[in-house]
Formats: sequence, structure tokens, C-alpha cells
Amino acid sequence: MIPFLILLLAAGQVAPPADTAPPALQLAPPGDIRAFDTPNDAGKSITVRWQAGPGATPETWLVERTGPPESTQVIATTEPADTRCLDEGAADGTKYVYRIAAVAGKDTIWSQPSPPVACSPQVFNTARLNILIAMAIFFALVIYYIETAKKGKSLFVRRIAGLDAVEEAVGRATEMGKPIIYVPGLGSVADIATIASLNILGEVAKKVAQYDSALLVPNRDAIVYTVAREMVKESYAKAGRPDAFKADSVFFVTDQQFAYAAAVDGLMVREKPATNFFLGTFWAESLILAETGATTGAIQIAGTDSIFQLPFFITACDYTLIGEELYAASAYLSREPLLLGSLKGQDYGKMIILTVVIVGSALLLLSKIPSLAFFDQILGFFSVN
Amino acid sequence: MKFFQYLLKIDRRIIYIVMGILVMLPLIKPLGLGVTSGPRATALFDAIDALPAGKTILISVDFDPSSMPELYPMLAGVMRHAFAKDLKVLLCGLWVTGVGLADKAVTEIPPEYGKKYGEDVVYLGWKAGVDAVILGMGENIKNVFPADYQGHPLDSLPMMREIQRLRDIPIAFAISAGTPGYQDWLLFAQSRYGMKVGAGLTAVSAADAYPYLQSGQLTGLLAGMKGGAEYEVMVQKKGYSRAYMPAVAAMDSQSLAHVVIMILVIVGNIAYFATRKRGA
Amino acid sequence: MKRSIPLAICLVMGVAMMIQFFIPHPISVGFYDLTTKWIRIVGAFALVLGTGSLILYHVDKLQRRRQGWYYSIVTLVAAAATAVIGLGWGVKTGSPLQDVIFSNLLVPLNASMFAILAFYMASAAYRAFRARTREAALLLVAAFIVMLGMVPVGRAIWGKLPELAEWVLSVPNMAAKRAILFGIALGAIATSLKVILGIERGWLGGGKQ
Repeated sequence: MIPFLILLLAAGQVAPPADTAPPALQLAPPGDIRAFDTPNDAGKSITVRWQAGPGATPETWLVERTGPPESTQVIATTEPADTRCLDEGAADGTKYVYRIAAVAGKDTIWSQPSPPVACSPQVFNTARLNILIAMAIFFALVIYYIETAKKGKSLFVRRIAGLDAVEEAVGRATEMGKPIIYVPGLGSVADIATIASLNILGEVAKKVAQYDSALLVPNRDAIVYTVAREMVKESYAKAGRPDAFKADSVFFVTDQQFAYAAAVDGLMVREKPATNFFLGTFWAESLILAETGATTGAIQIAGTDSIFQLPFFITACDYTLIGEELYAASAYLSREPLLLGSLKGQDYGKMIILTVVIVGSALLLLSKIPSLAFFDQILGFFSVN
Repeated sequence: MKFFQYLLKIDRRIIYIVMGILVMLPLIKPLGLGVTSGPRATALFDAIDALPAGKTILISVDFDPSSMPELYPMLAGVMRHAFAKDLKVLLCGLWVTGVGLADKAVTEIPPEYGKKYGEDVVYLGWKAGVDAVILGMGENIKNVFPADYQGHPLDSLPMMREIQRLRDIPIAFAISAGTPGYQDWLLFAQSRYGMKVGAGLTAVSAADAYPYLQSGQLTGLLAGMKGGAEYEVMVQKKGYSRAYMPAVAAMDSQSLAHVVIMILVIVGNIAYFATRKRGA
Repeated sequence: MKRSIPLAICLVMGVAMMIQFFIPHPISVGFYDLTTKWIRIVGAFALVLGTGSLILYHVDKLQRRRQGWYYSIVTLVAAAATAVIGLGWGVKTGSPLQDVIFSNLLVPLNASMFAILAFYMASAAYRAFRARTREAALLLVAAFIVMLGMVPVGRAIWGKLPELAEWVLSVPNMAAKRAILFGIALGAIATSLKVILGIERGWLGGGKQ
């Protein structure tokens, strides 16, 4: 009997009566409504943020704006997890008030209104302050070393095999009596690699003029063609051989990528050059050019900042200038103090970045320790917007 | 010794013939090596599969005919998937050279599912300017494209009555052979308008997208022809399509091509070391 | 004067665009939009220059009967025909330019040129991939892993091979690429600064003074 009574008592404890079930959560109005001028923008934008209330989770949020002349409208509907709204229909200088509503089924509960807020355009993007500081440091380094070079201090630049081979390559073409083909890349004159390539073209053209070789420069961009032609003409004049310059040695082919590759391939197979230069911006046609050149037995010097094409050039060419070695070419070949100085400044800039990367990685690891979490804020300064 | 010296200098034409034959053979007689779907392609597939009927997906056709063998199967696969799920498809492009390819897809694929242009699929065409186009579409698609590629005003197209701006579209799939491409959709559409973005890329540039996948910015990724094949297989397995799978067919050829290259490299190295030893 | 004016424009516009990057004000944004429109307009004029150069080059080749002069006839006739058809019949779907020239000529030709890469990769790999040094041997091993991992054959050989290939691509390969990108980015900034300040004048055509 007693065990039976104990069982009854236990059942009473385990199964609570139906009328004492916990009440369903009520919908609560959102709180902490903050409306402010969206920072670092061109104006006409107000950001509204809020916190969900302690009650039930709503199905949606409604964002209501009241502005002059007493016009009120719902401007946005957001998902429950999204407690932020960007109002991009606001007029600069006009004060607005915002309210947020939590909506679940037929129930709608409104928040207290936000303080009035107006938007305006900003004059300086403070989120890019870190970029401005980095730029200032970098420019200061470059200008410092340019000034140092102007004072006559000798600056060391390491050997770049591809550029040392330029003279040898031109000499080879002269001995064999075959032309040199110079491909200044497929980029436009706005590309840094093309500018670097055109500088090298000037030096190559000068050597070609001195050695009395033949030079062919097929171009994919019309503006690059005009610049290249003037560059080669001027180089011949500087070498004292203006009469040797042939205007049709520098020509425009087509602006279609593979049509250009086919045309240059045909030129290589017909002319059988002794030397090929592939310097500039390249895309998928890089291997087509380099491999065809290899089949003709030419010595090939390539250089590009297109990192996807570097492996193909390294495989198929005798010398390859990797990335910034191409940019350093004009300084390397001319040995002009101004250019060497800027190269030095660039290198020190890289050292600073390397230091920042190593220190930043260490700070990121350490910031996982709760007491050192403030390192995250330091790292936040380096994020780019 | 002569044998190894010959191996060191095999005529290119022989290499090209062997390569050509081994690439062609599987297209005629498939090897049936099979394609297993990886997590990146599956993530994109699941994201589109989870959309309820009637929703719209945006496809940005950012490639040209030279990348067509690698990227067009992705375009066809995703479109077939969308139509099988009764999703609507809106196409546009940031590359002018992709216009003909998008038009081809819009002409060929919807009739397979009985879908009508204007009601189930619309092609907006190409517009110059990248950030202006995406940001403009974020505010109002009609401001950027008042008419579609064929010249029909967007207001006259039933499908476009419910789609005013990018927020009305849950997911964008950017098929890119370079720049501009998926990074612009991430930068402007995903971060600003909260759209999910998936990417279809050539194999050589797919590795650059991995950080975006890891951070969750990209919803899924189809990498190269293999990615296209993985998607085709998933679409077929679910019964959404019975169409010919060009990427899957080409994977046998790609497998053999890779094996041929490896064999040639091994042969070249054996010959190199053999002749070097003898020479020493 | 011939060089001073372009250098002055380069300096002013270079500094202006640098400052514009930091100013979100609508006037700054408007200036940026205007400049990009101008760049596109000036770029369009390049088409005139390029077409003129193309025609002059091939007409000259034709007149002097230089080697391959008959191909110049093909080039000139093709250029003229494409222009006439495009101007006369339009470029939309259904027009001869779209259907015949684009779909039936340009697309297959572009695809064929791209396809040549496969053969060239085989011959280049065979010729160049020699394990001459330890680094070269390491490169070969990594190349094999990635090549096998990217195709179904790799998974058939070893189930984990695709993951290993992905690790090679996303960790060491990415690290090296980013290192090169750092250098390229800094080189680009330094070269841009030199161009803006007039230290680098190659883009003017005609060397430095």
C-alpha cells in the first residue's frame, strides 16, 4: 500500500496539472532606438539601429519615418535577426524621427520615437584614415630616398637576371641577322605594367639602333601603339640613328585577345626572330605566345604583374621578371638616381608592411585570450573600408 | 642511351597527336569515371534548392566565348535547376562579350521546361560601368535597365512587376572569367543589400575565392569545368534534368589530359636523369 | 609646351583623384563620375586611331607586295564587311552580325585558340618540368597532387587527394601569390607616384628629359 501511495505522489510531482503551464511570451516593443547620420557618406542617408525587446520574437520589424511636413510612412520591413536599417531616401538637413514596430501575426507594438536626426554629406571619410597615414608614410619614404639619390649617394639594387640578359639578347639578334619581337602586353597605357614595358622598350630600341638590328613591335591597344611608336623613334634619334627608324616596325594589330595572339604567333613563325620580349599585362594567351616563340628557337625574356600568367612564362621563357621586377626595370636599366631612389623607398615600404603583418598576426592570436581582447581594437584600425 | 636521348626530345607533333586522340576518345566513348560533388558546389546547390517556388535568382554572365567551355555548363546547369524548381531567372552581365552567350542560354533552355520569356525569365543585357550598375540595381533595376536586351520596357514584363530592386532577389550567381565579376557582386550587392552571392569561376582563378567562402561571404563556388560537372550531376540526380551534360562528358577528357601530362613529365625526367648519369 | 601641358594635367588630375578618394561629399563623387565618363570617351577615340593604323599598315603592305600581302586583303575585306553589316543590319539577336560573324566565326575561333593552350601546356610541361634541384622536385610533386586532385581520377586513386590538392592551392600557393601581390601593389603605387610627379615620363612617348 505504502509503495503505491509513494508512486501516486511521484506521479503527481512529475505531471503538473494543466492549469499551471507557463504563460506564452508577449510581444514587447523594441528598445534603444538610435538614429544617426550615416558616417562617411555622400549624405541623404540615416542609419537606424534598435534592440529587440525582452518578449516574444517578432515575425518582422517595421521601420517608420516621420518628417516634415508631418508625413509619416513605413520605409522598410526587415527580418527578425536584422535590427538595422539604412534609410537612403532622407533629404539632407531635414530632421526626421523614427519608430520601430515589432509585428507578430495581427499584433503590432511600436517603440518610443527616436530623437530627431538630420543627415548631411561628410567632407572626409574617417574610415580611410589608416590608408591616408599609410600613403603619407610611403610617399615620405619614396621622396626621402629620391632626395638622397639626388645628393649623389650610391644605392644598391640587386641583380635582376632578366634585365642583365637584355644586352646579350639584342647582341644575339644582331649576330644571327634576325629581328627582335617586342610584345608590350595587352594592357592599356593606364596599366602600370604597360608603362614599365614602354620604358624598357625605349632602352631596347636604343640598343637595337646601336647594333643596327631589326625590331618589330605589334600592339594590341591603339594608344599604346602611338606611344610605342614615338618611344622607338625617339630612342633611334638618341642613338644617333634617326634614319634607321622604320615607321611600320611598330604597328597596331587588333584589340581582340586571341586574334592578337594568333597574329603575333604568325609573325614569330614567319620572321623567326632571335629574341622575343613579352613585357606587360597578359592574360590567357601568354602560354600561346611563349610556347610558339620557344618552338622558333628564340631567346625569350618575359615579365608581367599578372600573377596567373607567371607560371606559364616561367615554364616557357628563358628569363622572367616577376611582378615588381618589371616595375624596377626602368630604374635598373637607366640607373637614374631619381628612379633608383624611388625603388629604395618602395623596398622600405615593403619592410614596414612585413613588420605590420607579423605583429598583426601575433596580436590576432593573442586577442583570443580574454584579458587581451583589446588587441582586436588595435587590429580594427588596419581594416580597409 | 639513344633511347633516352630520344625520350628527352620527343617531337612536339607527337605530343599534340597523342593529346588530341586522348582528349577526343572519351567524348566519343565515355570512360564513366564519375563525378562526385564537393562541399563548395553542394553549398550553392542547396542554397538554390531551398528557395520556394516563385522566388527569383539573378545570374550575372561575366565571361566571353573563350571561357565558354568551362563556364557555360554552369550557366545551363543553374538555369535548369531554377526552372525545375519553378524559380524565376533574371540575367544580366558586366561583360559586353557575354551578351551573345546569355542570349543563347535564354533562347535554348527555358523551352525545355515550358517556361516563357517575360514571365519566367528575363535578360536585361549589358550596361557599362560596374559599381554604378550594381548600386543602381540595388535602388531600382528599372533605373539602370529601363528595357530588357530585346528592347521590351521592363514594366511590360509580368516577371518584373514583383522585382523592383536587388533586395527582392534572394541570391545572385556570378559566373566570371575575370574582372569585373563576382568580387564586384560581393562588394556592392552582398555587403550592401544582403544578397547571397554564389560564384562560378575558371579553374585558374578559383583559389582566389576560397577566403570569401571561408568567411561566409560566398554562399557556394563552382570551380572550373569540374565545378560545372559537379552541379550537372546534382541536378540530374535530383531528377531536375535529363539534358546532355557537357561538363561531365569533358571530365573524362580532362582526366586523361592530366594523366598524359604527368606521364610526359615523368618520361622526360627519367630520360633527363638517365642521360645525365651517363654524361657524368 | 608639348610635354609640359600633359605633365601638368597628369600632376593635377593625379593629385585630385588621390584627394577624391578620401572625400565622400557629393561634389567629390560627381567629379569622380565625370572623370570616369571622360576616360571612357577618350578611350572610344582610340578606336579611331587603331582602325586608322590597321588600315594604313595593311594598305602599305599590299602596295609594296611585302611577304604575306594577300593576308592583308583578307584583313581589309573582313574589317570592311563587318563594319558595313553591323552598321546596316544592327548587332542584336537575329542580325547577320550576331548570327554569322559572332556565333559562327568569332566564337569558334576564340574557343579554338583557347583550346590550343591544352596542347601547349603538355609540350611546355614536358620540356620544362625537370627535377634539376630540390625545389624543382618539390614543385613537381605539388603539381602532380594538384593535377590529380582536380579530376575524378584523383579521387579514384585516393579519396583524400582532392582535399590535399585544395590545401596546396589555398595555403602555400595563396601565401606565395599574396606575397607577390604585396610587391606588385607597392610597385604600382610607387610607379603611379613617379608618373604623377613627372619623374617617370615614358608614357609621353620619347624617353625622359
